[in-house]
Amino acid sequence: MWKKIYAWLDERLGLQEMYTSILDRPEPKGNWWNTLGSASLFLFLLQGATGIFLTVYYTPSPDHAYDSIQYIMESVAFGWLIRGIHHWGATLMVLVVFIHMLRVYITASYKYPRELTWLIGVGLLITTLGMGFTGYLLPWNQRAFWATTVGTQIAGSVPFIGNFILKALRGGPDLSALTLQRFFSAHIWMLPAILAALIGVHLYLIIKHGESHFPTEED
Amino acid sequence: MNQDIKQKIHERYQRELQRGERFWPDSIFKDLVMATAIFLLLILLATFVGVPAEPKADPSDTSYVPRPEWYFLFLFKFLAIYGQIPVIGKIEWLATVIVPTIAIGLLVLLPFIDKSPHRYYGKRVFAIGVMAIVVVSMVTLTLMADVPTTGEGIYIPGILQTIGGLVVPAVAYIILILMNFVFKKTSAGAMIWTSGITIVLMIGLTAATLALAPQVEKTETEVALTLEDQILAGQDLYSIHCVECHGDDGSVTVIEGVAGLEGKAVMPISGKDVLYTLNDASLAEVISYGRPDAGMNPFGKAYNPEGLTKGEIDYIVTFMRYSWDDRFEKPQMKPVFPPLAEGEVPSYEVHIAPIVKRYCISCHRPGKENNNYPMTTYEEIVYSGDHAGKNVVAGSMESYLLQVIQGTPIIENGEEVIGVMPPKSTLKPDVIDAFVRWVMAGMPNTAADAAAVK
Repeated sequence: MWKKIYAWLDERLGLQEMYTSILDRPEPKGNWWNTLGSASLFLFLLQGATGIFLTVYYTPSPDHAYDSIQYIMESVAFGWLIRGIHHWGATLMVLVVFIHMLRVYITASYKYPRELTWLIGVGLLITTLGMGFTGYLLPWNQRAFWATTVGTQIAGSVPFIGNFILKALRGGPDLSALTLQRFFSAHIWMLPAILAALIGVHLYLIIKHGESHFPTEED
Repeated sequence: MNQDIKQKIHERYQRELQRGERFWPDSIFKDLVMATAIFLLLILLATFVGVPAEPKADPSDTSYVPRPEWYFLFLFKFLAIYGQIPVIGKIEWLATVIVPTIAIGLLVLLPFIDKSPHRYYGKRVFAIGVMAIVVVSMVTLTLMADVPTTGEGIYIPGILQTIGGLVVPAVAYIILILMNFVFKKTSAGAMIWTSGITIVLMIGLTAATLALAPQVEKTETEVALTLEDQILAGQDLYSIHCVECHGDDGSVTVIEGVAGLEGKAVMPISGKDVLYTLNDASLAEVISYGRPDAGMNPFGKAYNPEGLTKGEIDYIVTFMRYSWDDRFEKPQMKPVFPPLAEGEVPSYEVHIAPIVKRYCISCHRPGKENNNYPMTTYEEIVYSGDHAGKNVVAGSMESYLLQVIQGTPIIENGEEVIGVMPPKSTLKPDVIDAFVRWVMAGMPNTAADAAAVK
């Protein structure tokens, strides 16, 4: 019975091919430093899952953002846990992605034929930092408000187009409801979409070229 | 890169695969262990460390010192130190634009700059050395982030952090670049030594900066998290800022005894006319902007430098709702002070301080007309005022404070010098009893002092 179902699915989905090409791959001898990439992916999924739960109660408006988070922390069952994981997960994700980048740099895994994997990886690192920057404003507390004020000011110091960047980030000359709205939109739609797309390409390239081996004196 | 080298790289990789492992189950097992460990770590952090509470954003409070997320701290510190350089330091965009652009540009272009096919660490001393210095500067700048960049006179921590955070790494980069590109025969050993010494110097200078830095006092702002705490916080703020004109139950219709506003008619703010017609946001706005035509001062920080923050105004609104609006049910609240048992001696810290805060401080604080008798601390209550020495006398029912709260004004030379207190209401018997017991027992300050009184 199960065999029949499996055969039926396999014929249509190509499960066996998937198994051989994705899971049953030969790899060079690895160690714990090789888990950082998958750890980043795990954190991305975890941030996605907890983030989705948070949007159930979170309201991106200056009048309600702060109170809605306080409600999540105090009144929603396990809200404190979901928010806590999201909060610390953000910190850990930046750390893990950065150490992953360092590992690739030290072992020179960015060299032929993996140049594009590195390039996409840099995009992932920058987008992750963008997630941190946009997410930081959302609680709408003093720390968030003033850090974003200064952060956008720095972006505004670019010669010639600085003022345009500043206004585009803030949605006007000052930090306002519009800023919160667009940071929220960037944080839950734009940047995650970019991240997901880049992760897809990154994974494809890893499967295509295989994980690099740790260099020895021959390399 | 020619075909031969590419071919070699592929052959080399195939050999590694031969003596390697399978993705499933070897690698994925380690990945799953790592993911589980991360998940457990996050649960522990969320449970035992939590998310620090912060007051609500207040655009009018420009005194707030901004701090970015910790992983941007090194950039903030770099900008602060950079700003110290004469002349170029003033051209902000050099640091804010050029440096990050170069950093990101180098990262992006790395595979195209570093074209040598060699991957072994010993053949990449320059690359690894530069990265090591970059990472160490990021860590040391983060550690020094809280140390002020400038200070009075010859400020040694400032000089040290400029040397350690800017000069040393910059010099090291230049030396390494010269070694690698100009004197091409420099041995790997020399570059390792250069990087190593640089890193030791940077760590040493950071340690010295941290050791010599003046201790920065951390001011913790209290954030009321539960509804009960919010109502209490609101009540305390109301007692200080609003009671004088609106009375402790908000029912005052004509202001009495307030300089400048004597005889003004006000709306009772505890009635349905106010509470049913204004929502929370409108109430907060009235408190923040004031009612200039009706004589009410603005209390928001934007209009009054000593005013209230957005969060504090919200607490007052919460207090008003739950105390006077009959559509809201007030939760069970703790009493102002723990009830006194038979023969128990109250202390300032446990009993008197909260009572004074609730009923007296509104007028008895600096800047108000109160015979120079502020009551914000123990010392002020016992020793200050125009009638210092007579206000509270240990063991004496003649203490002015005890007389006036029990309805006896103080008459000196046929003139009333102190009226009954509070001017427009009377304290509850248990509050008066607490004051009497406290003065009769010799005004103990701490709970331990009170316990020592026989």
